[in-house]
Amino acid sequence: MTRKQKKLVAGISICSLMAGIYPAANAMHIMEGYLPVTFCIAWGVLCLPFLTAGFIKIRRTLAETPRTMTLLAMSGAFIFVISSLKIPSVTGSCSHMTGTGFGAILFGPCVVSVLGIIILVFQAVLLAHGGLTTLGANTFSMAVAGPFVTYGIYKLCQKCKINHGICVFLAASLGDLFTYCVTSVQLALAYPSETGGSAASTVKFLGIFAPTQIPLAIIEGLLTTAIIVCLESFAKSELNLIGYKKEA
Amino acid sequence: MIVIDRLCYNSGLRYVNAMEKFVFSMLTLLLCVSSRSIIAAILVLLVTGTLTVEKGGIPLLCYLKLITIPLVFLFLSISAVLINISRTPLDAFAIPFGSFYLTGSVQGLLWGVQLISTALASVSCLYFLSLSTPVADILGVLKKLHVPGLITELMLLIYRYIFITLRTASAILISQSSRLGNKSLHTARKSFVAMASSVFVLSVRQAGAQYDAMEARCYNGRIQILSEEHPAKYSEIFCIAGFEVFLFVLIVILKYKSSI
Repeated sequence: MTRKQKKLVAGISICSLMAGIYPAANAMHIMEGYLPVTFCIAWGVLCLPFLTAGFIKIRRTLAETPRTMTLLAMSGAFIFVISSLKIPSVTGSCSHMTGTGFGAILFGPCVVSVLGIIILVFQAVLLAHGGLTTLGANTFSMAVAGPFVTYGIYKLCQKCKINHGICVFLAASLGDLFTYCVTSVQLALAYPSETGGSAASTVKFLGIFAPTQIPLAIIEGLLTTAIIVCLESFAKSELNLIGYKKEA
Repeated sequence: MIVIDRLCYNSGLRYVNAMEKFVFSMLTLLLCVSSRSIIAAILVLLVTGTLTVEKGGIPLLCYLKLITIPLVFLFLSISAVLINISRTPLDAFAIPFGSFYLTGSVQGLLWGVQLISTALASVSCLYFLSLSTPVADILGVLKKLHVPGLITELMLLIYRYIFITLRTASAILISQSSRLGNKSLHTARKSFVAMASSVFVLSVRQAGAQYDAMEARCYNGRIQILSEEHPAKYSEIFCIAGFEVFLFVLIVILKYKSSI
């Protein structure tokens, strides 16, 4: 074999090895105790404006229509359940949706940020995904950054009059990818590489989680699209109840 | 359905004052995360582990299984911290890879060990709380800490609805499996989509019905629950305070020693 071929074989074997050692790839929750205290606080503070906006919005909606209380709670539970169920992907690996992109399209990003932090608390306490000290960082990546990107792309695509299905797919999968990028940056900022600083370790974290997260983002996009299309065809009245309007 | 929830209702520590358990786990967690000392982490892991297993009566096997849940994330992200790709080899190990090295330093390895021990100790703190305190009690603590009523109310409802939704979803999943719905990847995806959409529709309908039922029983935006009072015992408070002070002093001494 030439040198180049050897490199190729080595590269491929590393990729396949990486794909092999992912028996359980949870959505990227940063685990309890992983981040230094300063970062925990900083990310928490960054989430505050979004949470306050969401809180005020929810309170206003509730003052107008108290009925939304149970609806909101049910949607929160729905997102939790959807994200805790295994999704069908390549055999042997078990992966989960983040579910927040889906929520952002249906309910809007502000509301999802408040529901998101509650869901993350329950995921930490009931399922041990994520943690209480890393709650701020996880909220920022999953309940703020992801949903806002999803919502932004969704609205942008609608403005550009792109096919509705493609628009949902792009929004959900890119939102998911963005969540994964933000998490990688969060990890890299806390643990900069010894040889190249934060930038180098961002690349490392992105690389390590890429084999699961990229296919997962595509699967999540496909599933979200299918679910939304399905809902639009047979659950119009329920969608109207939660204030979801298809503007096409 | 949710293992941790079921275990915590059977825990021997369930009827200990919730605020006590909350303060204990949060303080220990904070000390553990902010100190990053390996010795303190091992101590915390041992103490919270024994408390959960011995006093709480959680089966050891169950506990160990639960501890492994976050390990996948831990090992993946540790490898990113440990392994560097660079042109110059570092002092601990270096594997040549083309013109680059997969390399790590002794300092980095030390960080890795520190990170693993801190993370495991923190997880054990979290488990101490979640395996001894039901969510309803945690909500009571949050109320005492003046978390806005809207949030605790929403949390209470979401907690209840998680089980309703999960029951609906698992019933649908079982009937799908029994009808060969997960025969191939293609059908599995189709079934998942069908399940998710019907669970959504069912839960929206259920939410409406729930509201009607609650309103008929004079719901005004707040569910009032009489919480069971389990007053804190002086001996327990003394033990907790003693442990925290000991941990704090230990950490300070360790820091002081390493700084010389």
